[in-house]
Amino acid sequence: MWAGHTSKERTGDCMLSDLLSEELVLLDVEASDWEDAIRKGAQPLVDNKKVTPAYVDDIVKGVNELGPYIVITEHVALPHARPESGALESAIGIVTLKEPVEFGSADNDPVKFMFPLAAKDSDAHIGALQSLVELLSDPDFFTQLEKCATPKDVVELVHDKERSL
Amino acid sequence: MSKMFHALICCRAGMGSSMMLKIKCDQVIKENNLPIETEHGNLDSLIGFNGDLVITMSDLTDELNADPRVPSAVGITNIVDKGEMKEKLEAWVAEHSE
Repeated sequence: MWAGHTSKERTGDCMLSDLLSEELVLLDVEASDWEDAIRKGAQPLVDNKKVTPAYVDDIVKGVNELGPYIVITEHVALPHARPESGALESAIGIVTLKEPVEFGSADNDPVKFMFPLAAKDSDAHIGALQSLVELLSDPDFFTQLEKCATPKDVVELVHDKERSL
Repeated sequence: MSKMFHALICCRAGMGSSMMLKIKCDQVIKENNLPIETEHGNLDSLIGFNGDLVITMSDLTDELNADPRVPSAVGITNIVDKGEMKEKLEAWVAEHSE
């Protein structure tokens, strides 16, 4: 079932850049707590019709019920919910927080970066998720991300990084 | 190589962190020749799951270990830390290969 993505994986011609756009990037967001951070960070997904407000509610519900499992590596959260809760179109945002926020993760707190994700299913976006996991493994990506002054800089950074994968 | 173990990699939604975890676990499994084959899904995939192992983010392990359908759960705390995955999966295989 992955046959269609083989060439993309091999060449690094991935789809993360396709899911990201400037209007989904927020820099230096001020948030009072983890829920505020998630709601503010995911708002562009709602405003741009990528998800319904119910999708954002489901992200918050998941953390309330199961804990901060969306904090997947040091200082990084991947807010996402069940596709059926209201994912309209696949997209990913990038959000930096002005002050790091505690999510209650024993190993990875505090959160400084968020990648709010809307996807209807993962198989269609395996290339994008593959790029994302490689970017999250790259300390230079975060160093550069912190230097970005505008959403445009962030989008260009992701394009450049993806090209070199 | 004797037995091939079957692992379900899951998270609540079944399409974000679980898929990224699968990508990284598959790299570690391949690089270290571990006798594990993986599939991924959400928590509902546990219905009818008859494999050997569930791999998930560590914050979900307590939830999963309490679930009678889960034979054994390994929790990963850092999705980009291949060292952690190697250590935990090798320990699991060693424990279950006897």
